[in-house]
Amino acid sequence: MDARGVGKVFGDDDDRVEALRGIDLQIEPGEFISLIGPSGCGKSTLLRLIGDLTAPTNGDLMVNGKPPPKARVDRDYGIVFQKATLLDWRTVARNVELPLEVMGIEARSERSRQMLELVQLAEFAGHYPWQLSGGMQQRVAIARALAFNPSLLLMDEPFGALDEMTRELMQQEVLRIWAETETTVVFVTHSIPEAVFLSTRVVVMSPRPGRISDIIVTGLDQPRDEDTREAHAFFDKVTEVREALRRQDRG
Amino acid sequence: MTTPHHQEVVAAFEDDLPVGSGTARTFGDRVRAYLPAAVAFVAVMALWEGAIRLFDVQAFVLPAPTVIVRRFFDTAPVIWTAGFNTLIEAVGGLVGGTVLAVSVAFATVRWVPIREGLMPFAIAANSIPIIALAPIANGMFPITSQVPKMAVVGVVVFFPVMINTSRGLLEVDPDELELMRSYAATPKEVMWQVRVPHALPYFFSAMKVVAVLSIVFAIVAEYFGGSQEVLGQYILGKASLFVYPDAWAGILVASILGVTLYAVVVITERLVMPWHVSFRADTP
Repeated sequence: MDARGVGKVFGDDDDRVEALRGIDLQIEPGEFISLIGPSGCGKSTLLRLIGDLTAPTNGDLMVNGKPPPKARVDRDYGIVFQKATLLDWRTVARNVELPLEVMGIEARSERSRQMLELVQLAEFAGHYPWQLSGGMQQRVAIARALAFNPSLLLMDEPFGALDEMTRELMQQEVLRIWAETETTVVFVTHSIPEAVFLSTRVVVMSPRPGRISDIIVTGLDQPRDEDTREAHAFFDKVTEVREALRRQDRG
Repeated sequence: MTTPHHQEVVAAFEDDLPVGSGTARTFGDRVRAYLPAAVAFVAVMALWEGAIRLFDVQAFVLPAPTVIVRRFFDTAPVIWTAGFNTLIEAVGGLVGGTVLAVSVAFATVRWVPIREGLMPFAIAANSIPIIALAPIANGMFPITSQVPKMAVVGVVVFFPVMINTSRGLLEVDPDELELMRSYAATPKEVMWQVRVPHALPYFFSAMKVVAVLSIVFAIVAEYFGGSQEVLGQYILGKASLFVYPDAWAGILVASILGVTLYAVVVITERLVMPWHVSFRADTP
């Protein structure tokens, strides 16, 4: 992913909101990038620009070396929203198969079985979404997003609606899945420990207009586990991100 | 990892689901579920019968249930022939109106100008007292034709089904649309994978209403003339001759037809969307 001078303005002349200004960001394959910042900093908008769910107003944005609409049509990325957004009328397995059906990929049941094993929900394949807890639904959404082997995984506050314990379990899962699949991840969050724990780099953003104020390399050892959360290096990085966010208030 | 998940599922069931809902009920549960309604029905019938005998109410005011049931069996060949003819009109109008309504609903999703140009008129037209059209519709066709009755029923059926289905197709979770966009899905796939399943509950709730209305409006349309071998004319004729128990027997046939059509819709709904929240069972 390569963004140079990307900006996004919503609305027209009378009622314009500048959501993003001058975004420069390069993401290398295999990285885990978190976008963090207060509400209104445009972190979700940036993610949606990468996914071509909205178009930039100015600047150059390339995803996998091509413009975002091309990357979307080539099915280069999978996306996970804050809500699991599973289709009620499909079983768990058939929800995972949805992108495969749309894309005309064969051997769907085999693939969905593999994906459900990856998120450790194989025995729930025949269940309906409402029979699962929030955390399990979100794992199904991740399985679905990865079912067609995209090189990029976009996650928009995927664990925002989950309780703290489930959240930490899910973070562990995502890191494991990231290591197993070697997918590049762009992850929007407003939790500082979450961003530090997960990421190779944390992109700190500030609002009005949304822009990147700092990029912090976490440099924590891989693989990360429960011990990582209690390590000094982890706390140091959490403090660093927190101070970066605070500096915005003063500035 | 496995065991906690199972516990979560079980916990979710206990918290979230109404007790005794769904398909996993035993025979005893079913009897218990229907018992209050059965008791209420028998009680009302007994009160009705008792009150008529006690106060010696005349048959032209209100006949006793036993008298109505006797006439229902005595006149069975005649009233069921009339009932069948009325049913043909109701079902003809129901099917025709529904097919047209669903087609227009699809068009409102596909073409924005149709949605914006047509919907206000549809809503305005819906407030026309449609039954007022019945005498005019009768005049357009041969005197014994069933078509004008079907037309009245069809118009009655059209609006609720069209407006409800169109809403169901349009009011889809924006996240689901973005998800499909992220797959670069075609509009056709969005329609069949997301919009249509989402519209089914809306469609069926409209169908439950219009299934019963179709019998009602077929009979009312018959009051304005046409073939004599129909329920509307039968009830009208018997009432004008003061043979009220026979008129009531005709009404009983109409009720049975209405309930039957309603049941057909409910059973179809269950077959088509077993996943829906209203049918969720205790176990998958």
